[in-house]
Formats: sequence, structure tokens, C-alpha cells
Amino acid sequence: MKHPARTAGAFAVLCGVVAGIHSVAAHHSASMFDHSKTMTIVGTAVELRWTNPHVSLSVNGTVKDKAGDEPALWLFEMTSPGNLTRAGGWSRGVVKAGDRVEVDMSPLRDSDKKGGALKKLTLVDTGQVYTANLREQEKPGLE
Amino acid sequence: MRCIFAAVLLTSATIVSSSIQAAELAKKTIINPPPTAQDWADLAKLPDWSGVWNPKITDQDAQIKTNPPPWNAKAAAEATKMFAEEKAGKPRPLFVECLPEAMPSWMLVTHNAMEFLFTPGRVTMLGESDGNRLRRIYTDGRAHPDEPDPTFHGHSIGHWEGDTLVVDTVGVLPQAFVAISEAVGVPNNGDMHIVERIHLAAPDILHDDLEIIAPNVLTKPWKTTRIYFRQRARKFDIVEGVCLQGNYSERTDADGNAIFVPIERHPWGNLVAPD
Repeated sequence: MKHPARTAGAFAVLCGVVAGIHSVAAHHSASMFDHSKTMTIVGTAVELRWTNPHVSLSVNGTVKDKAGDEPALWLFEMTSPGNLTRAGGWSRGVVKAGDRVEVDMSPLRDSDKKGGALKKLTLVDTGQVYTANLREQEKPGLE
Repeated sequence: MRCIFAAVLLTSATIVSSSIQAAELAKKTIINPPPTAQDWADLAKLPDWSGVWNPKITDQDAQIKTNPPPWNAKAAAEATKMFAEEKAGKPRPLFVECLPEAMPSWMLVTHNAMEFLFTPGRVTMLGESDGNRLRRIYTDGRAHPDEPDPTFHGHSIGHWEGDTLVVDTVGVLPQAFVAISEAVGVPNNGDMHIVERIHLAAPDILHDDLEIIAPNVLTKPWKTTRIYFRQRARKFDIVEGVCLQGNYSERTDADGNAIFVPIERHPWGNLVAPD
């Protein structure tokens, strides 16, 4: 917890979206994300939700190289824990609240919403990189 | 005369007795006999399908254009609308509330791994999602029930033709989608019949050749092959995948108890990002 106050604040915001529950799709298409675009968000990890069917990472951050961008809470979705473990070497503990991160992602087409499909996570302090492309598993005998 | 009367009586008694025996037999519970040592030994003669199998998703994607189902006019119109919705970035959620992808969509559009278990008289398929993704394929020679109670995965019977498992499935819920992606699919609307020929196409590549007969949405049987890759690295072991867990965040309540709290989603399925 490198920035406990900021993390706690963002955590509270995250809890705030709990109102107005509308749980619908489980396995859903990813076409709500604009895969023709890649944006990079730099900031601090708030929470990795390591659950099926889609893992998500929330980050308190700003758009990289966008002068004057106000820090905001961003939410990124990925494939399942099983697929991330195999395709990208992830585990529940690879990123912790307070870690400085850089996220490459395809943003939601609804640009008013701060979310996207995570393509690559970089841990700033270690340089460790995790990808999230489950189509990288398409051959037998992977190690 | 007395002899004739006795003979008639005896015959009548025999007929009544036979009828009772037949009725008793009809009522007799059908038993799944305990497997013998030979039954277990015979499993070794089957092809080796051990390991974990993950789908070739890029081929699922490609077949959307290269091998579309022969939709009837109504289903085609619905599919066209769904393509438009998906293109607009608001995909139709098909697999809602964590209901199973069901048959045949599990085999058609899954992004998740599966495994096979061989036991005497049965092949079991287990998938890594939904918390309840499972197919029981009976290979003990039984027939389908006369009136199968419809289920998400239907009633499946199978037999081996050499190293190919031939599976016949009926009794799938009419609500189960014939899906070609996670956003485009039409409910089969009943009377669906699926025939699969599952076999190794290469030492570590499995093919499921499906023939889907869905007369209420297709103009003719649709044939498609779905491809799976074998993985033996232990990190590919199937893990628990409880879909409903994705609707919750892990939190701690005021009493210090670990609890789940619901999260919010967009109508088309993904998590809601904060304003």
C-alpha cells in the first residue's frame, strides 16, 4: 500500500457504484470496446477482481501524455482467471492495491465511461508485463 | 367334461400368472450394473483424450463468415439485427444471469477449456465455467427416453466407431441458443437434434464434427467442425469457474466478516465504469 489515502478514496468510489444493480450477461461479447484504438492509463492499482467469468482491474489514473487530465477511477476487463493464468502468466497476486501501473487498453465505445478491455499491464516499479490475449493459447503442448 | 374344465382353469391361471409376471417385469427398476474388472480394463482400449482441451477461438470467429448456419428467414433477420447491434458496440447479451451456454453453443462458441472423463458406460465432459458446465454422454447402449425432460445440455447417448465417439443429443431446452458468437445467436425453439463425431485429428488436436438439426430455425442441417488443442502443462488444469461470482466484489463488513457485495453492469454485460 504505497498510497493508502488515495487508494482508500478510490476504493470508496468503487464501492459507491454498487447502487442500482443490473447484473445481466455472463459471457459477453467484447464489441462494446473499440479494438481499433489503444489508450494508455497511468496510475495506481485499486483492486484486482479475480473472478469468473471476467477478471477486472480498477486503476486510479490519468490518460498518458494527455496534459491536464484529471485523475479518475478507470475499470478494465479481461478474460477469466483460468485463461489469464495460462495465456498471460497472471495470478490473483500479480498486482496489489497501491502498485504503480501502466495499462494499455481498448476503450469503451461510450467514451463518457472510463473503462476498457485491458491488453497489457505493466508494473512500473518492476517492469513486469502481463498480457491478456486468450487467443495466444491456440496451439497444443504449451508450457 | 371335468378334464376340459380343469384344462381351461389351468390355462386361465397360466395366462393370468404370465400377465402378472410381465407387469412385474415392466415395473422392475432398471439397474445400472456395477462395472466389472473387464469394464474398467476395456477403457484402456479407448483413445487417449486425457489432458485439458482449449478451443480454437480464431476459427470460431472465422466461421461466422465462412460457414454461417443456414438460418431460416426469421432467424436470419434476427441474426442480421444482432450483427448490427454488435457493430454499434451494444452487443445483445445471450448468456444472461450465468445460465449455461448449453448445447450446442458450448461446443460452438466457448472461450474456455474442457476435459473428458471416461468411466464404464459413460463419457463425461467438464468445462471450466458457469459452475455447472457438464455433459453426461451415456455409452452403455441405452436409448433416449421416449419423452426426455428438456435440459440445457440435453440427453446424450454415444457409441464408439473405432476411435471416434459418435454422440446423439436430443431433449435440449428450446431456449438454448444456436450461437455463432457471444452476441449473435437464435433460440433453437424446440425439436433440435445434434449429432457429433468427436475424434483426434492429430495427436494433440481434437475435432468435434457437429451436425445440428434445428428445424425451427435452420432450413437444413448445419455442419461445422470445432477445434480444440491439448495441453498437458499443469498450469492448464481446469479450475473452479463459478460464473455468478463475477457479479460480486469481495469485501469486509462492519463485523469483520468476509462477504460478497453485488456490482453494477451495463445492460449489455460489461462492468460499469465509474462516472
